[in-house]
Amino acid sequence: MPRSKLYLVARREYLENLRTKAFWIGILSFPLVLCLVTGVPILLLKTKETRTYAVLDQSGSIMEAVEDSILADDMAQLFAAAERQDPEGGPEALHQLAAVLAGLDEESRETLRLLAAQTSPAPEEIQRLPEAARTWLRLHATRLRSWWRGAPDAEMDKLNLKLARDQFRRLDTPSGADIRDELNRMIDDGRLFAYFVIGPDPVAGPEGCDYVSNNLTDNELQNWYGRRVSAIVRQRRIASERIDPQTARWIQSPIHFASQKVGTAGAVEEVEKTDTARQWAPIAFVYALWIAIFTSSQMLLNNMIEEKSNRILEVLLSSVSAFEMMAGKIAGMAASGLTVVFFWALSLVSLVVVLPTALGLGAALGPVGFLGDIAADPLYLTSFVAYFLMGYLFYATLLAGIGSVCNSIKETQNLMTPIILPMMIPLLSMFSIVKDPNGILARILSFIPPFTPFVMMNRAAGPPAAWEYLATTILLLATIVVTLRGTAKVFRIGVLMTGKPPRLLEILRWFALREGATPARKEPE
Amino acid sequence: MTADALLLEHVDKRFGEVHAVRDLSLQVPPGSIYGFLGPNGAGKTTTIRMIMSVFLPDSGKIRVLGSEDPLAVKDRLGYLPEEKGLYKKMRLAELIAFFTELKGVDGATARRRARELLDRFDLGEWADRRCESLSKGMAQKVQLLVTLSHEPELVILDEPFSGLDPVNRDTMRDVVLQLKRDGRTVIFSTHIMEQAEQICDHVLLINKGEKVIDGTVDEVRRGEGRAIWLDYDGESSRLQELPGVERVTDGGNRAELFLAAAADTQAVLAELVGRGVRVSRFDLRAPSLHEVFIRAVGGDASA
Repeated sequence: MPRSKLYLVARREYLENLRTKAFWIGILSFPLVLCLVTGVPILLLKTKETRTYAVLDQSGSIMEAVEDSILADDMAQLFAAAERQDPEGGPEALHQLAAVLAGLDEESRETLRLLAAQTSPAPEEIQRLPEAARTWLRLHATRLRSWWRGAPDAEMDKLNLKLARDQFRRLDTPSGADIRDELNRMIDDGRLFAYFVIGPDPVAGPEGCDYVSNNLTDNELQNWYGRRVSAIVRQRRIASERIDPQTARWIQSPIHFASQKVGTAGAVEEVEKTDTARQWAPIAFVYALWIAIFTSSQMLLNNMIEEKSNRILEVLLSSVSAFEMMAGKIAGMAASGLTVVFFWALSLVSLVVVLPTALGLGAALGPVGFLGDIAADPLYLTSFVAYFLMGYLFYATLLAGIGSVCNSIKETQNLMTPIILPMMIPLLSMFSIVKDPNGILARILSFIPPFTPFVMMNRAAGPPAAWEYLATTILLLATIVVTLRGTAKVFRIGVLMTGKPPRLLEILRWFALREGATPARKEPE
Repeated sequence: MTADALLLEHVDKRFGEVHAVRDLSLQVPPGSIYGFLGPNGAGKTTTIRMIMSVFLPDSGKIRVLGSEDPLAVKDRLGYLPEEKGLYKKMRLAELIAFFTELKGVDGATARRRARELLDRFDLGEWADRRCESLSKGMAQKVQLLVTLSHEPELVILDEPFSGLDPVNRDTMRDVVLQLKRDGRTVIFSTHIMEQAEQICDHVLLINKGEKVIDGTVDEVRRGEGRAIWLDYDGESSRLQELPGVERVTDGGNRAELFLAAAADTQAVLAELVGRGVRVSRFDLRAPSLHEVFIRAVGGDASA
């Protein structure tokens, strides 16, 4: 049985699109970008160059205390590695630790961890530990510390630890008469990133404390080291004023406001970290939606212009009606656009949900872990696909009309402006809407059909009420039908037209013409 | 086979101030070869586009293959537009099959027929090449195959001979004649009268959107009086102002002398000899379509 002509036109359009480079670039760009977005921050963390620094400690004790505090943090990592049982590689001390930790309770582990980081732990503290832990502390703690100080990077990497020394490494302070001159030279020739000078008595005041570096924009090291020195100085001041450490801790403890939101059931819920991220996630969806709609419609326009300049339209028109041709083309491009969008959705789900679960890396996504929750939420992906389809239909219809009256891409520019300019509005209002998804601006824009797909996507974190979804969708669909009818008329007239493209006003006048009439303009024979 | 393949009654079409086709009526009998003749801008393409329902007429009636609903008969028509195009990225066989299927032929048949046609027209080895790799001559052949692949009853060719080299022009002529032998109707437009004279049964002469004359080639020519075909040697100026000769179309060493109604051919010959023109052929016959046309249009202009 012969198939519908509309289907034949659509199928040809679809298959031809599959052969274009633009289609494959479009379909593969998203997973690529996704990999970059998830991979790069992780990679950056891993590859960030280790900053080297030196410390000129005139106080004689601060630097050592800082070293202990850094090690105390890293020790937590080492202990965690030991607890994971049998860490690959690592020094003998770590393997011994693994054995000891297995027999300790939570409190003793914590005590051991703190003591292991100290160069000279208080004897009474040591006494509180069980025998095995005390032995380990006596025999191995120093060795673990010196291993931590000097082990090659390759060995550290094997343990897969996030140690402070990977980020910031202290070099030994040179000795001699002109230490600062020597340190300045080291900064000049790049051996040092920065050096700290600790004043003779920081507990009394900040006099003589300096930070010297040629890079004053990256102040991570300065803050990181500064925090530690401040903490130690604070401790000593508390001690020197004979304030009870308990009291001091209580005085210093800040008040945190716990974030909460009113849930769907009306109850107050704890806000998870992902909730905040989820609030912002629509931005990415709106942007992807915009790009998908715009590129698909633009591709349709380009194809039409090409067929017009190829003079192929007249052959087509002798076989199919103008409406069949226009609708077929729009449908064919919709199919390839949907293929791309489905593939995007699929790659999002597989890259952030299926794959990490399969590899047992639930938490490995780190800063972009919330993507998993978003991808698993049907509201986002469903509305993304649905709004793509509706938004595409609206804009593709308009662009098909423009394509029918122009003979070159250059000619389309003038007529495109009144379409592109409004299309910028959802992009510009993206951030205000995401902050206030059910605000008055968001609501008004939702009911303007050309903006509906973007704005409703934008409000997904709200989310808008069901009646709003329903009403805006009906309004949008009605607009699409009206646009399609109007464009069909323009298409019929414009598709065989050659010569100067008509102005917008002229096109609008065509809407009033009866079916099949030809407007007043010169037709070259 | 009794109904007309095509019937136009008082068809009128304007594009704003341009009156492209004026009150045109004509009748194309089935199984004939019908030529639309006229200079560029005469309204041939507009008429053809109206027949193909690409445009609708402002007034008048068009009946194609016995139907007034243009969409109902689209599949039975084959149309080769004047400005022809192909999908550059599609493969030849695929392209022909696509257009064939669009005319309501089922997919498998369309694909089979596309290959058969390509083989028959010596393009078999190109069947899986892309259209963009074709030479101009080959592309023209493929366009013709696209027009014919669904075996239409009425074939409409807009300026089919323009831009063809002599070999392809012969192929095109053979195709047109073969279509007639197969019992199909062919309408084609041309501004070159000699071509029409050779292969058409019927012609329509059209100028500035108006019918000048129509009928069989013989009727049209005979109705317009007599002419002398002259092969000669001598100066062209000596052909001027011969007695009884209304107009001369001079080709340098061959001329057509269009005679006034009561002209005496003996007197014309005697005058020519008297003027020292060496006559190698002196042939009294019906005027060529070209002469008929020029005369008709010229008379129009002087009136």
